[in-house]
Amino acid sequence: MKEVIMPKFGFTQEVSEIVEWRVKEGDQVEAGDILAEVTTDKISMEVEAPEGGIVSGIRYKAGEIVPVTEIIAYILRPGESLPADREASSSNSRDNIRDAVVAEAPLADSKGMVMPGKLTPLAARVAADRGLDALNIVGSGPGGRVTRMDVEQFSAQTSGNGKLPATPAAKRLARETGIALGLVKGLGPNGRIQAADVRAFSESKIPKILTTPETGTLVQNRGMRTIPFTGMRKAIAMNMAFSAQTIPAIQLEIDIDMEKTLALWEQAKSHAADKKVSLTALIVKTAAWALTRHPILNSQLGQNEIMLLPEVNIGLAVAIESGLIVPVIRQTDRKGILELAEGINDVTQRARQSKLRGSDLEGATFTISNLGMFGIDRFTAIINPPQVGILAVSAVKKRFVGNELGEPVLHNMMNMRLSTDHRVVDGAEAARFLSDLRAVLENPEEMLL
Amino acid sequence: MRELSYAEALREGMRMAMEKDSSVFVIGEDIGVYGGAFGVTAGLIDQFGPERVIDTPISEAGIAGACVGAAVTGMRPIGEMQFSDFVVLAMEQLTLQAAKMRFMFGGKATVPMVMRLASGSGTGAAAQHSASLEAWFVNVPGLKVVMPSTPQDAKGLLLASIYDNNPVIFIEHKLLYKMKGPVPEEWYTTPLSQSMVVREGKHLTVVATSVEVIRAQQAADILAKEGIEIEIIDPRTLRPLDLDPIVRSVIKTGKVLIVHEAVKMGGFGGEIAAQIAESKAFDYLDAPIRRLAGLDMPIPYNRILESHAVPQIENIVEEARKLVKGVY
Amino acid sequence: MEDALRQTKTEKSRSGVFTNEKALELIDAMLLIRSFEENAEEMYARGKVHGTMHLSIGQEGVAVGTASALCPKHDYLLNVHRGHGHFLAWGGDLNRMMAEFMGRETGYCRGRGGSMHIADVEANNLGAQGIVAGNMPISIGVGLSIKARHTDQIALCIFGDGASNEGAFHESLNMASIWKLPVIYLCENNVYAMSMPIKKAINIEHISQRAAAYGMPGVTIDGNDVVQVYETIKSAAEYTRSGKGPYLVEVETYRWKGHSKSDKQAYRTRDEVKEWMARDPILRFAKLAGLSNEDLEQRRSLSREKIKKAVEFAESSPEPDVKDILEGVYA
Repeated sequence: MKEVIMPKFGFTQEVSEIVEWRVKEGDQVEAGDILAEVTTDKISMEVEAPEGGIVSGIRYKAGEIVPVTEIIAYILRPGESLPADREASSSNSRDNIRDAVVAEAPLADSKGMVMPGKLTPLAARVAADRGLDALNIVGSGPGGRVTRMDVEQFSAQTSGNGKLPATPAAKRLARETGIALGLVKGLGPNGRIQAADVRAFSESKIPKILTTPETGTLVQNRGMRTIPFTGMRKAIAMNMAFSAQTIPAIQLEIDIDMEKTLALWEQAKSHAADKKVSLTALIVKTAAWALTRHPILNSQLGQNEIMLLPEVNIGLAVAIESGLIVPVIRQTDRKGILELAEGINDVTQRARQSKLRGSDLEGATFTISNLGMFGIDRFTAIINPPQVGILAVSAVKKRFVGNELGEPVLHNMMNMRLSTDHRVVDGAEAARFLSDLRAVLENPEEMLL
Repeated sequence: MRELSYAEALREGMRMAMEKDSSVFVIGEDIGVYGGAFGVTAGLIDQFGPERVIDTPISEAGIAGACVGAAVTGMRPIGEMQFSDFVVLAMEQLTLQAAKMRFMFGGKATVPMVMRLASGSGTGAAAQHSASLEAWFVNVPGLKVVMPSTPQDAKGLLLASIYDNNPVIFIEHKLLYKMKGPVPEEWYTTPLSQSMVVREGKHLTVVATSVEVIRAQQAADILAKEGIEIEIIDPRTLRPLDLDPIVRSVIKTGKVLIVHEAVKMGGFGGEIAAQIAESKAFDYLDAPIRRLAGLDMPIPYNRILESHAVPQIENIVEEARKLVKGVY
Repeated sequence: MEDALRQTKTEKSRSGVFTNEKALELIDAMLLIRSFEENAEEMYARGKVHGTMHLSIGQEGVAVGTASALCPKHDYLLNVHRGHGHFLAWGGDLNRMMAEFMGRETGYCRGRGGSMHIADVEANNLGAQGIVAGNMPISIGVGLSIKARHTDQIALCIFGDGASNEGAFHESLNMASIWKLPVIYLCENNVYAMSMPIKKAINIEHISQRAAAYGMPGVTIDGNDVVQVYETIKSAAEYTRSGKGPYLVEVETYRWKGHSKSDKQAYRTRDEVKEWMARDPILRFAKLAGLSNEDLEQRRSLSREKIKKAVEFAESSPEPDVKDILEGVYA
């Protein structure tokens, strides 16, 4: 009996995908016959039979990704049978497949923010066994998922104790710019992360074009004042630039008759304990409803898959003194208007008092930006990666519209413009989402149907 | 500005103080007729007479006690320990009497004395004549400890020490006595407890004392050619220490190297390192705090060995390079 | 520079030395010291005083005889650890002394010094000394200072028989002698340096012989004879004040109590103590002054009253405030 293993063709190759089997179970082959075609990094290779015999125990199908040196089939001589324990190893390798490391930099979370709890079961087990805090481990799997390989790597990096060796300066810098240290490669002695490494990491995220040009002389004016461009302000700015540069976004807008929603708003206000309900609460409610019906807009783009996220956590852009901040309202699809209003009031207040916690800023799946209070008619917002959509909400203003009889009537109208990642959301889907949103804002009772 | 040697600057300071103030006198072994083992007090006895430039028998405890007694009864004595090593015979008077009198007496005694120590290695004087003992005194509350590294500082700090109302241990380095530098002609005092940024730089903070300040400056010139700019800080007064400029510098550079001649273990460098780590500079450290200091041994007689026993220019250069390049 | 012998003539001609008034003054001074020390012992036994103390019961004659021959507060006092008697004889205030022993803010040293470091620098009392012979090198400085200022002050440097073997003793006597400093070195030879009998610690007859080694005068006298002490110190002071240099006076005396409070006194016999108690300086001088027992006891009661008042003052005084803990370290 001879094992057929997935060969390793390159130094850094870790997996191959089976493109096509050229033989099937039970076929007689000779040594050197092509058994399958496999591919890795766009390079196709053929797997040859190591000796003559009968093809048996094929373990992976076409399209499956297999770690190298893994057994993919057996060649049996007449009278031989398959090994008894192959099932056990097979299920193990199933885990391996699921945890297969994709040897590229994580794409999903460009801010480098860690999304806790996204571990594969195997990764969770290994981390628990080693006593490692999974929160610190950054995932290189799809959607930022932490795989077992990530856990192993983190363990090695931290000499098994889960603590990242980093200088105080590096830690401070990472804290200030919102970078997870686990993502940064330490070039110091024993893999220690130094300040320069953190800086290099954050700069590598930004295409060179975004750094200030060195050409020309800086104009120095007497009495020129400066505002620091550091910390959170800088981090948000860099993320925006990244978004604008790399995401092919489309914008769709829609004008909405707000009469009925405004009436509902009055009702909500009278029911609220403190009588304070913002219009945003109703917009969040309807948006959440629409997102559950169009989950493609509440998703994230992974390496090879689009992840439809289970929760609808809406980030609300709030303007504070030091710039923009986006606190998150969780599980908006499961809350009523009054509950949402309370939550919105709370985070907005805390944002303005600079009392937001880290957890308030994490986990948004979609963002709403409302400039209505400034009387803006319409505007375009920039998508906040890794989200795929952002809704720009403008002011409610009385405008002339035509009624059923074609007569001009003054109605309260509001513009909404959606920016969405065209790699994930196509025009029709975006349009359907907006259409549903309008429908339910113009007739809120439709949410009950 | 005219230049004086470190020894000449000290002499000028003593002379000016004695001219101005009859309560100031100098006392020590061979300081009068001989002019001091290192010539620092040469000529003073001719100007002021044997009553104010007092040659003593070999009695270090007596010399120190004489300073204490004179100081507490209204005078400003300047005592000398011919070699800093000999101060150990005066430790009782300096640490149990001078340092503690004021406190023990409820703040009601004042001991405005200066004890000058000729300190350091490099002259082949070997194990019992080459000590650097500043750390011993830094550990004694009630004393002040001063270490000038230039002629200008020597004169200014000495005058300040004479007029400080506390007992001051004034540590001079033998190798610096002949070093020349600009010294203002007038009466001036250099404030105690004021660290000085001797040279600015952005890659590394170097905190050095006494002769190591001079060596660090020469190292800086060499490093500058390689594009490494070190910032040198001379604390000048070790106790009480002015930590602030050091903290600000470390925040700026993120890396610090402490250099002193005294033995590393239990040396003053450990104190500075701990104070830096306890300060807000901690969050700005991008490498471990490093010390370059004397080897863990008595000073040997052989010249080559003697030179290796304490930090030299090339040691500072190498250590600075390593720190800046991230070897540590 | 011969050894001074016990002079019996002083026991006869008291009126030639002191007036009645002065004699009573001296007796009161000694009684004050005696009562003070007895009270201190009691307070300590009751736990009211912290640390330890070195009682000078039995040595009152030295303190009072010496102080009366000098000018306290003009002259400098460099006291010894067993110095309560000298401090009092030098004009120490009872209240402030008691307060200092009880560690109170109102004490001479704000409670920071205690018995062993009690001082009144403004009154030229440069403090009791915790280090044996520690005040001797200091006496050199004080002597130089006096000379530089051309005053007629003297420095009285008190130490015990044990101190005469410290290196600092020799350095100091030598320097004082070569520079002719105005210092009287008063050696209270009370036979024991803690547990070490002086006879075992030196190979000479009298400590005063050492003065010769340094080219200065030295005498040994009966320290429990107030008149003799007075007269000897007086002539030493004359000598010293005239610029002739230092003088060593060795007074033979005895401490009735142990070295300090934790002394079991295993090194001497009760008989020896009793023998010396019979030579009580107070009783001797009272007899010389013609004072009756009743008078003496009456005066003793009065002195005890004064001590009681001082204790009251001290006990009602505040402790130092912890927030001032670092005060006085630096000027």
